[in-house]
Amino acid sequence: MTHQQHPQDESDPQEVYARWLDALTHIAFAFSVLALALYLTGVLAPFVAPQALAELWRLPVDQYLARAGAPSGWGWLSLVGRGDYLNLAGICLFALISLVCCARVIPAFLRHGERLHAALAFLQVAVLLAAALNLFPGAR
Amino acid sequence: MNESFWIWPLALFALTFLLGIVAVVAGVGGGVLFVPIVGSFFPFHLDFVRGAGLLLALSGTLAAGPVLLRAGLANLRLMMPLALAGSVCSLAGAVVGLALPTEVVQTALGATIIAVAVLLWLSKGAETFSAESDGLGERLRLHGRFLDHANGVHLDWRTRRTVLGIASFAGIGFLGGMFGLGAGFANVPALNLLMGAPLKVAVGTSGLVISVINSSAAWVYINRGALLPAIAVPSILGVMLGSRIGARLLHTLPAPVVRRTVIVVLALAGARALLRGLAIWP
Repeated sequence: MTHQQHPQDESDPQEVYARWLDALTHIAFAFSVLALALYLTGVLAPFVAPQALAELWRLPVDQYLARAGAPSGWGWLSLVGRGDYLNLAGICLFALISLVCCARVIPAFLRHGERLHAALAFLQVAVLLAAALNLFPGAR
Repeated sequence: MNESFWIWPLALFALTFLLGIVAVVAGVGGGVLFVPIVGSFFPFHLDFVRGAGLLLALSGTLAAGPVLLRAGLANLRLMMPLALAGSVCSLAGAVVGLALPTEVVQTALGATIIAVAVLLWLSKGAETFSAESDGLGERLRLHGRFLDHANGVHLDWRTRRTVLGIASFAGIGFLGGMFGLGAGFANVPALNLLMGAPLKVAVGTSGLVISVINSSAAWVYINRGALLPAIAVPSILGVMLGSRIGARLLHTLPAPVVRRTVIVVLALAGARALLRGLAIWP
């Protein structure tokens, strides 16, 4: 019997992953639309002014950061009240979705007795977490 | 806000909406179209285009994922080992890509995109698929069943050559991270021709794999400051809306016509990137 024969089985890891993926993607999408609206309407002033940005986005990233005085790493968190960096927070939400979904299916796999897949999901979470936290060699 | 400034983000939104539809139907991933087109014809530096390309491919596949998973066209168990190998190597690729000179990356990108166009032109999806799996594939339960709407029958499938498949995804992940591509162009042949998954399952699972692999590489670009919201956010929103529609049109749109169009666009964008990298057409 194959796992896809029972898509209505809500405890199946594939269905659990789909459900969380769906919900989190909607949340990140709604957040990004709201953040973009606040940015476009000027309600939240950007850290880099649009006219300056139109010149700076032609530069390599290192030169851009130096000229704009923009932070790298997680330094942007202190600027999340600015329109452009609130939008970066939305981008980070998208990049976190797979991590959360993989973490969520670990117990689902274990309940189904699939320890190998639970271990793979755990390793995937570790890799994504290391990437997010800038913890792997050569990242800095 | 400066009016002329917003022409570019708005143009990006329109372009990526179309790319979202085309990418899902053609099974190529939005990034492979986005990076050469935007990198060649928009005023942004390639660093930011690659960062946005990763996010674009990521968000498009995230949006299409639930539909594909519930239809059995994407398989979570098949995704897990392939995405793990690919995401580790995509981190390395992203670091290398950001360390190399722009002209080198631009030239290599152009050559890669032209090679992809040739590969897509020459390759045809396997009409038959694997009926037997190998030992590792059995342990990992790499099998499934889906309803093929084209002929109305349920198809049972299994994959083979699991170790080779995992190794392929490691290499594909490296290239994807380096160039900011979704790499569906390579994922689909690896899943279909090498591992023996049915073409529709290969396309669907490729999207799911991209959603995980690109998440890891995207963090390299985010942490380096190479993700500009003014470029990435309109692109993400455009491709998400487009790929939702694309996932629903997967059964009905004439895939061969879309595929041929994509090949022509890829060849042109790849040639432009190559000429730009070689300073022949700056």
